[in-house]
Amino acid sequence: MKRIVSLKINGRTVEDVIPDNLLLIDFLRDRQALTGAKKGCDGGECGACTVLVDGRPRLSCITLTAKCGGADIETIEGQAQNGRLSALQRAFHENLGAQCGFCTPGMIIAAEGLLRENPDPDVNDIKAALGGNLCRCTGYVKIIKSVQAAAAEATQ
Amino acid sequence: MNANARTSVIGRPVPLVDGVEKVTGKAQYTADLNARDASVGRILRAPVSHGNILGIDTSRAEALDGVLAVITGQDCDKTFGVIPIAMNEYPMARGKIRYRGEPVAAVVAIDADTAERALELIDIDIEELVPCYTPAESRAPEAPLLHDNKPGNLEREVHHTFGNVADGFGEADLVREEAFDCAEINHAQMEPHAALAEYDPERERLTLHSVTQVPFYVHLTLARCLDMDSSRVRVVKPYVGGGFGARTETLNFEIIASLLARKVGGKVMMQLTREESFLTHRGRPATQVRLKIGLTRSGKITAVECDVVMSGGGYAGYGLVTILYAGALLQGLYDISNIKYDGYRVYTNTPPCGAMRGHGTVDVRHSFECLLDRMARELGLDPFAVRRANLLQAPLFTSNGLMVNSYGLGECLDKVEQASGWAERKGKLGKGRGLGMACSHYVSGAAKPVHWTGEPHAVVSMKLDFDGSVTVLTGASDIGQGSTTIVAMAAAEVMSIDLGRIRVVTNDSVITPKDNGSYSSRVTFMVGNAAIEAAKALREKLINAAAELLDVEPQDVECEAETFFVKGSSQSELPFHDVAIAALAKEGTITVKGTFSTPVEAQGGKHRGGAVGSTMGFSYAAQAVEVSVDEATGQVTVEKVWAALDCGYAINPLAVEGQIEGSVWMGMGQGLCEETHYINGLPAHANLTDYRFPTIAESPPIEVQIVESIDPLGPFGAKEAGEGALSGFPPALVNAVADAVGMDVNFLPVTPDRLLAALIKFRRANRRKEATK
Amino acid sequence: MTEAMPQFQLIEPSTVDEAVAALQDAPGAVLCAGGTDLVVQLRQGLSDPGTLVNLSGVAALSTVEETNKGLRVGAGVTLAEIAGMEAVANGYPAVAKAAQSVAGPSHREVATLGGNLCLDTRCVYFNQSHWWRKSNSFCLKNRGDICHVAPKGNRCRAAFSGDMAPALMVHGAEIEIAGANGVRRIALADFYHEDGAEHINLEPCEIVVAAHLPPPGPTSDYEKIRVRGSIDFPLAGVAVACNKLDDGTAQFTVAVTGTNSKPLLVELPGDLNAEEPNDAFFATLEKQVQKAVSPQRTTTIAPHYRRLSVSALTVRLAEGLL
Repeated sequence: MKRIVSLKINGRTVEDVIPDNLLLIDFLRDRQALTGAKKGCDGGECGACTVLVDGRPRLSCITLTAKCGGADIETIEGQAQNGRLSALQRAFHENLGAQCGFCTPGMIIAAEGLLRENPDPDVNDIKAALGGNLCRCTGYVKIIKSVQAAAAEATQ
Repeated sequence: MNANARTSVIGRPVPLVDGVEKVTGKAQYTADLNARDASVGRILRAPVSHGNILGIDTSRAEALDGVLAVITGQDCDKTFGVIPIAMNEYPMARGKIRYRGEPVAAVVAIDADTAERALELIDIDIEELVPCYTPAESRAPEAPLLHDNKPGNLEREVHHTFGNVADGFGEADLVREEAFDCAEINHAQMEPHAALAEYDPERERLTLHSVTQVPFYVHLTLARCLDMDSSRVRVVKPYVGGGFGARTETLNFEIIASLLARKVGGKVMMQLTREESFLTHRGRPATQVRLKIGLTRSGKITAVECDVVMSGGGYAGYGLVTILYAGALLQGLYDISNIKYDGYRVYTNTPPCGAMRGHGTVDVRHSFECLLDRMARELGLDPFAVRRANLLQAPLFTSNGLMVNSYGLGECLDKVEQASGWAERKGKLGKGRGLGMACSHYVSGAAKPVHWTGEPHAVVSMKLDFDGSVTVLTGASDIGQGSTTIVAMAAAEVMSIDLGRIRVVTNDSVITPKDNGSYSSRVTFMVGNAAIEAAKALREKLINAAAELLDVEPQDVECEAETFFVKGSSQSELPFHDVAIAALAKEGTITVKGTFSTPVEAQGGKHRGGAVGSTMGFSYAAQAVEVSVDEATGQVTVEKVWAALDCGYAINPLAVEGQIEGSVWMGMGQGLCEETHYINGLPAHANLTDYRFPTIAESPPIEVQIVESIDPLGPFGAKEAGEGALSGFPPALVNAVADAVGMDVNFLPVTPDRLLAALIKFRRANRRKEATK
Repeated sequence: MTEAMPQFQLIEPSTVDEAVAALQDAPGAVLCAGGTDLVVQLRQGLSDPGTLVNLSGVAALSTVEETNKGLRVGAGVTLAEIAGMEAVANGYPAVAKAAQSVAGPSHREVATLGGNLCLDTRCVYFNQSHWWRKSNSFCLKNRGDICHVAPKGNRCRAAFSGDMAPALMVHGAEIEIAGANGVRRIALADFYHEDGAEHINLEPCEIVVAAHLPPPGPTSDYEKIRVRGSIDFPLAGVAVACNKLDDGTAQFTVAVTGTNSKPLLVELPGDLNAEEPNDAFFATLEKQVQKAVSPQRTTTIAPHYRRLSVSALTVRLAEGLL
């Protein structure tokens, strides 16, 4: 069963013929060569695949592309503007919020979803918003610090 | 002078030089590599724990449209294994199956769908054998042998005695003995396993991209298992999403992907699921520790006796090293003269164990720090005091021959004691809340590598060319710990050039020098030293060129902030690029190299197995943990952690902090909630909801302090930072729980169900005690 | 490429009637709302329905109405929305808390009330890969003929693991079900039965369209036993509602999840009178919960622990509500 979907990815309209069972993560990685979103688990357990769908964080590994027609999708690749890092990207880079970097795209996207809704989150807000994003390297200490740093920069 | 040049970089927090790629999604991990022209590889895994393969019929699978090839154990009769004397594993089982999930065949097809369907069409005829899931079952007299040449299913037993243990216990005022039970855990690195193999039949060459921490070992293994000349093999390590030891040996899927690629004469992408990544395992074995310690009234340790049984899984892997580490690293932390160690590594019908962060030491250290704490309590000694009573006086050699040149444990203790408010708060936090502490240490690289060739342990080369850029070539595997950044910083510091002038090229066997890989915390120490030596060689060439231009002797030339000048004079400053051009004019493109070899005296005792545990320098750590315990549900919450680690010198304090936080936290996972579960050999934990490593929600603040003891052999005085703090967490946790609820527990992890069961037993025993009074 | 997904057709109705018709047209079709559990099942080969009926486009399912009869929450309202609704937080605190405690934040963005109420039961022998289940000769719930949890029994013991149901049950919620023959309303507690392979009373081609909560009355709370602070399904969860009368009497309602194949309304030892010592009442309450639940070896955490901890939590919540 196939269909044509039209959706926006990082501001660009994309049209493609897809099977109904195509997962958004596979659409992004295999068809759009956007490999920033990662597969860290066998479905919905780790958050490494998080992307923004209409501004809200979603797990692309358990999202059907067919359900995303007309949606506005943002991935980690769309966060930097003209090659300059977004506030969160810069904060994660400078504060070592990323070690191996595998969870990082999902983590930054989930944090982006948080900051758009709540520009001045406290530690508990950050913990709540990133509760579905696992990291195995950092102990989360510098991830929290990175989100705080990005929020501080934005609210200055 | 170039005022903008970031040339004095060491000792300052530097973001990872490959960090921008990670935050932008540009970093390419193995599964991200272009595989549009690749076919898809899949592995068929054994459905039983123990059995003889009577036959495998692949004809139905081969007949399926879209299937390109099917291979089985018959396609590779070469064993592999990281320890040259213990290679007893085939990429796909031949004859015998030793754990559920062991590869028995593999398929390559045009797409994942076809490959999956093909797996269903492979028929295996298996004669089931009695499985042994625990060391007790494996060691029972009637137990079937997993490996015919290993009687009693013992992979390795170790019996070491140093000093006089009987006399030691005789001198003690208090002798206590306890048994500890630590569950098996897994690395659960965020990136599932993957390999991209490409075979060029025209030139008979193989290229493998893989998630490995040890491309060199993978290279050797591929040549062996594919029976190829190693010059025809190329191994590339892209970005790697964590390792923690899971990838410190060649793994079966790397060989299988390569075999498939050769079979079809093309490119094969092999991506393992999370479940398969768990099945590949190589985690920390379930470990039973029986420990006896003798203490004097003042807290001096007089003797130690330790018996360790590890449930190793179906194959050797790193096993013999693990069981040796467990005994060897009883030493090197405290001053202990009399030690007896008996270790047993046992084969079981479960996925093979291997090296995991804190390799071999964690469960024994846990047991030791718990028992020491309890004995101190019995003697009325403060936990800090009892540790201080046993500090080493560096430099020295331990009784098992370990070299200790620098030792900052005392300072770690001071810092943690103060930061945690120990003196004012210990024992005074009220019911259900407690403080505990523990110490730990770890090697900075094994002084003798597992694959001993006599070559230097590390080689770094550097190239200076017409554009004035410096390219550093290293085989050191950055797996997120920041080794590439350390190499760049070392070069910038020694040459006094800007970090931006340096590009580090890593991990491509056709380009970069051989490196043993990222394990046993060897990279900063060994590769860092090699990078310093290479940078010095390059600097010397530039100094010589500058001396000629300035018409002075080389020893009179100074280089600072990308500028060369005569010592004591600010006149005739030469910018870096001019000097580089002058140097290049003499010999063209300049290449230099630096090496690091371990000093003989660092290579451990002369006894059998004495090389394991030997190192150039140990990191030292102390930590305090504050917990609250919900006595109704058994739930333990870690409120805060204070950790201090002696890493010799923090070349990159940002990365050192990150390593300490990460290792403390990983110790917390093992302490609180991580464990594998097998149901008749089937993993009930092989996903990220049932293998419960901590989420951000329950992860505590970790306050880190760095202690710098300046190691005489370390690069700029540095030692390791990424493993030493891990093993202190579980005992500090258990000691804190004891402070909170007045009960000692001897199991790991301290999950709510275990703790509640223990609390119920404890209350019942207390009631009985009350009643009999 | 992710492991092979089964082939299916995604039908996208825009009304409840169309959705019902779609179910009638394609026997075996499965409803898909947020998909947070279903897609995982598809990926594991636990479900191969041929047709998925996507409810996301049915606008009528996403409405919330507050009237003097109470609160009607559409089955398509997401858990994130429920957790954030003032009317829920004020009138039915347990419901808000339960919604907030489901899985992780990104799940809650799309996971719906209806999805959570109809959540499939879970078991360590069931929620596994195809290879795993095949190696274990499958199970009663999926392609096999024995329940590995209770091999001597004749039914599936998989545990209901939704957080929303007990919270709604203690507030006396009803659900509204649409089918070919119109709409019916039943008490939520009657929606379930104790069989892990068939735990919800939904006729073929029926759809849960809304939950009805009576006007706010009792205060309430929800708490779940889990090892980690996020993501985990409840090993056991309990909702408690408390109605305090003027004479000092406290009427409690308790519902438990995660311990049985259905969410369970626990029969209580009566009300707590002002004259009665609280300790005795709560001790009885604790015993009562322990007696009512029957956790099985459906998770890696011991059943006995789940019984003890959920009963202890019940008392804690009840005491907190006094």
